[in-house]
Amino acid sequence: MKAMKLRAGLPLATAGLMVLLAACGNNTANEGNKAGDKGNAAAVTTANANTAATDTKANDTAQTESAKEPVKVVWWHSMSGELGKAVTQLVSDFNAAHPDIQVEEVYQGAYDDSLNKLKASMDSKSGPSLIQVYEIGSKFMIDSKAITPVQDFIDADSYDVSNLEGNILGYYTFDNKLYSMPFNTSNPILYYNKDMFKAAGLDPEKPPATYEEVKKAAEALTKNGKSGASFAIYGWFMEQFFANQGAEYDNNGNGRTAAATQSLLNSDAGVKTLTWWKDLVDSKVALNLGRKTDDTKKAFLAGQIGMTLDSTASLRGIVDGAKGKFEVGTAFLPKPDGVSDGGVVVGGASLWIMNNKSADEQKAAWAFIKYLAEPATQAKWHINTGYFPITKKAYDEQIVKDNMASYPQFKTAVDQLHATKLSPATQGAVMGVFPEARQIVEGAIEEAFNGQKDTKQALDDAAKAITEKIETYNKTVK
Amino acid sequence: MNTTDAGIALRSGRRMRSRRRSLPAAWKETGVGYLFMLPSLLLFAVFLFYPLLKSVYLSFFLTDPRGRVAEFVGLDNYTGLFGSPDFWNSISITLKFTAFTVPAGLLAALALAALTHVKTRGMRLFQFIFSLPVALSVSTASVIWSMLYHPTTGTLNYFLSALGLPPVQWLTDPSWALVSVSIMTVWMNSGFTYIVLLSGLQSIGDDIFDSARMDGSGPIRTFIQIIIPLLSPTLFFLSVVSIMNAFQSFGQIHILTKGGPAGSTDVFVYSIYQEAFVNYQFGTGSALSLVLFAFIMLLTFLQFRFAERKVHYH
Repeated sequence: MKAMKLRAGLPLATAGLMVLLAACGNNTANEGNKAGDKGNAAAVTTANANTAATDTKANDTAQTESAKEPVKVVWWHSMSGELGKAVTQLVSDFNAAHPDIQVEEVYQGAYDDSLNKLKASMDSKSGPSLIQVYEIGSKFMIDSKAITPVQDFIDADSYDVSNLEGNILGYYTFDNKLYSMPFNTSNPILYYNKDMFKAAGLDPEKPPATYEEVKKAAEALTKNGKSGASFAIYGWFMEQFFANQGAEYDNNGNGRTAAATQSLLNSDAGVKTLTWWKDLVDSKVALNLGRKTDDTKKAFLAGQIGMTLDSTASLRGIVDGAKGKFEVGTAFLPKPDGVSDGGVVVGGASLWIMNNKSADEQKAAWAFIKYLAEPATQAKWHINTGYFPITKKAYDEQIVKDNMASYPQFKTAVDQLHATKLSPATQGAVMGVFPEARQIVEGAIEEAFNGQKDTKQALDDAAKAITEKIETYNKTVK
Repeated sequence: MNTTDAGIALRSGRRMRSRRRSLPAAWKETGVGYLFMLPSLLLFAVFLFYPLLKSVYLSFFLTDPRGRVAEFVGLDNYTGLFGSPDFWNSISITLKFTAFTVPAGLLAALALAALTHVKTRGMRLFQFIFSLPVALSVSTASVIWSMLYHPTTGTLNYFLSALGLPPVQWLTDPSWALVSVSIMTVWMNSGFTYIVLLSGLQSIGDDIFDSARMDGSGPIRTFIQIIIPLLSPTLFFLSVVSIMNAFQSFGQIHILTKGGPAGSTDVFVYSIYQEAFVNYQFGTGSALSLVLFAFIMLLTFLQFRFAERKVHYH
């Protein structure tokens, strides 16, 4: 019941806040719950502008000043720690260069939390103008009908997208329309400990590329209390293993030709992958450290495991963490033997423009998006984080060249992105219940690992559960 | 916790003998009484009664991905629940979790309170130390324990390896996960239980201890045959509250295991959270929470009906 209490409390608290805001802005903006009411939006925008103004000026002048106030764009994001610092830098650079726009960045917790806050704010005016949503939230964002596709701005602006990476745009393109602008994009790579490879008599310049080779390498690496590998039980990896075999995760062209109605988790691709993964753990050449990539990362940096899977977004942290201890190698995500097609799906997140804000505010948000997509901005973002640039032009920037020279590991992810041929499988699956589906998949992997169910059974049950969730979702989206 | 107020009210209700008075005077008195209750009644109305009614309403509907009411489904949410293995799994997990945490927590706190309520020098320090967990929020405690439990860099596995024992996958092995979360929960709740029991012990007059000693009763026998019965109201209150607490545990599960591995720590409240705030199905989420509400109410009723007979109020 506590959760229920919370839910009732939130709108009340926000309502209270709104009243306070309106009061201190000396403005009678009525806080109605009518989404999409433009007049109301304008009133609230001025209320906001006024509140900002009262911080520095007296009320009466604020009323006359508000016409010349810069347009305020509220950006919700989920970048914390080092990534958060990089974001703050980007925003302050933009604000300095654009006096007519004021972007205010708000960290709203992890992707899940931020999306939940957005859902709670959708029927009021308290939400952002621009939000960063993880890739698997895309279908929800489209179905919510609460956003303006960036394609509208691209068309109005005749904005040139030819320099942007086609493979990245592919994920966020539905019915030939780009719905959101990719911002931070990643894919999974195999990290391995070159020193351990040498000690085990393996060639550190020839990392394993197939399931079979991974097993052989892991066998050689497992000795003296060290383990060959550990892959976190993370649904994202399963999705990537599917794409890497050119297999689709959902029916209807991965939910891209029409809304998906069925999960294909229990197809051959899934069984092959889980059988291999379980075999690694059963034959004691890989450790099961649970669901958190943080835990596998710690073990990898402590030199306790020889190989691990992780996002490219962790590259900087891993390379820096291993400094002075061992040399980090990076390689493509492994494939089953004899598979040639397929590639990786773009992970990370993209930026969505909400449609319940004034046209001016949406335009300002678009201006900020364009700035973030510029080669120089993407170059800075890339070298500070490990996310790869969304524009090919960024590779011409000197800082990127220098970075590639000193950290050749950064090249792996980029090569893997460029080696991927776009198909429904590598565009990535689209479903509204993705966050739940991920957890169901993780549960199934766990069940198979500890022998509660055999591999096929675990995947069958999970596929059935996801299919049911999809059915319910499709019933409620009109 | 409003449940504790209810418990106290119920107890004192038994001892109150209502006497007849003239009507207007009685009205005036009850009127004043209600006036004093008004602020909390208002708060309850906003934060408890309204959400409860809203939950009942929502449980008959499906909601769309934004959490808005989409379709009337009648009792489907309930029938769907009773037919789903996950629901029964989370019930059995919750019962196990309660069985692991409540008796162990009470016994541990009782032992500590018995050991530290003697008046010797330095006892204050121990009383302070044993009450400390009260000062920690669930999330803080969970983060601390997640570090202790960490599979490769955790303190507990470090000690095991120092003793030459193999490491235990505390949170990632399904047969250990619930036990690990329970250990942490017992520790976390021990502070509150300990304080209540200690004050209960200290309210027992010295004369009782003295006369027990004069009659030649040893410390163990005194404790079991005299002190425990005198403590029974406190113990009863604590067991009711602890069981409610166990049924409503969420924070430590959310931070330590997220209900995993393979659903082995998927307690009831966590599945409500999943359904309502991850899947945004307020309909099924509400149905689940109402089932939990009914369940706790029934349990509490049973406790008052049967266990309270053994309680000795003096």
